[in-house]
Amino acid sequence: MTSAFRPGSHTGVTVSDDGQTVYLAHLPAGPILVLEGAAAVIWDEGTTAPAEGWVERVAASVGEPSAAIWADVEAFVSDLRERRLIEDGPPDA
Amino acid sequence: MATHEATEVPTAGASVPLEVRIGFAHASLQWIADRCGADLLHVKGAALDPTLVPVRGYSDADVLARPGQVRLLLDELRGHGWELINSFAYGSSFEHSATLRHKDFGLLDLHRIFPGTGPDPEAAFDELWRDHTTVTLGGVECAVPSRDAQAALLLLHAARGGKDPKAALDVEAVWTSVDEAQRDRIRAWVDRLDAGLGFSVITGTLEDHRDDPAYDLWRVAALGGTRVEEWRARVRAAHGLRGKVGVAARSVLVNVEHLTIVRGRPVSRGEVLAEFFGRPARGLREQLRRRGRKREGDGA
Repeated sequence: MTSAFRPGSHTGVTVSDDGQTVYLAHLPAGPILVLEGAAAVIWDEGTTAPAEGWVERVAASVGEPSAAIWADVEAFVSDLRERRLIEDGPPDA
Repeated sequence: MATHEATEVPTAGASVPLEVRIGFAHASLQWIADRCGADLLHVKGAALDPTLVPVRGYSDADVLARPGQVRLLLDELRGHGWELINSFAYGSSFEHSATLRHKDFGLLDLHRIFPGTGPDPEAAFDELWRDHTTVTLGGVECAVPSRDAQAALLLLHAARGGKDPKAALDVEAVWTSVDEAQRDRIRAWVDRLDAGLGFSVITGTLEDHRDDPAYDLWRVAALGGTRVEEWRARVRAAHGLRGKVGVAARSVLVNVEHLTIVRGRPVSRGEVLAEFFGRPARGLREQLRRRGRKREGDGA
């Protein structure tokens, strides 16, 4: 079972103890990015298996219908992909 | 959607806790080491096994590099935003580490030796590397010494901590309060690392090593001393005439790197000259104060 996406090979990740904040670092030279609120939820669900239904899980977490958040989620994930913070597909063996 | 880029001066709502930055410092180092083929062990601080000392703060990242690969690593680090702010010769009386700073990840101590291990740093590193394990820091698997080796290293670090309360807590947690089986495992590592002299501070047997050239270095580190005593100890511990002359020369030169950090700006030629003449005077004043205190103590 795989997740929708995974951290890039040049991405450092730290999640706060309360799970509310995700810190990402471009390795090896920075910068550090901070994901809070819905952004942190998208990261959490997108990197957690299974990939199937992950946007629905985000929608349930934020109390909105999937259709209402789909475009924002898509744009956010595209942004992460452009910044090379995430990669698609299963982790390297 | 709340995504913030946490630059050198974090914006409101995008602050990054120090321990997160330090975790990423370790991750950055491991990333660089992996790509340039260098062996690196993450020690103390965030890399410390949490079962050794449950609550222990830290303010920087410490890594021990394979001695023969230190130059390679330093060159790579400087190419990835790490700025050298204190070189090995001026780092401490043991001349064991260089300090680097990164605008996002903070401070890093790059060790070429771990004080107390030796006398062959490469052999000591090999011993630690042989039993190393990994821990995830900043999302990256980082190489760390085995738990018992970490305990031995922490005690060697505490041995030169003088009256530092943190060192006393480390000794209590890692040595005083553990059972004999754990102490035996730590002693085995002390033997493997040829670390008897430094470890004798922990067991209160430093005086058994009076004839060792590095005895004074450990005595000053453990019990305190003046600048003059520290430099004398460094000269005595240095290997060969050339090494001794090198240390003696550094004792009177000004560490411009350090002075720049202290002043927070580039220093002028005049300030370097003032420091050059001021430091021996400070050393002399310390020596006189110490002698004065000793005389008062003798008279009491």
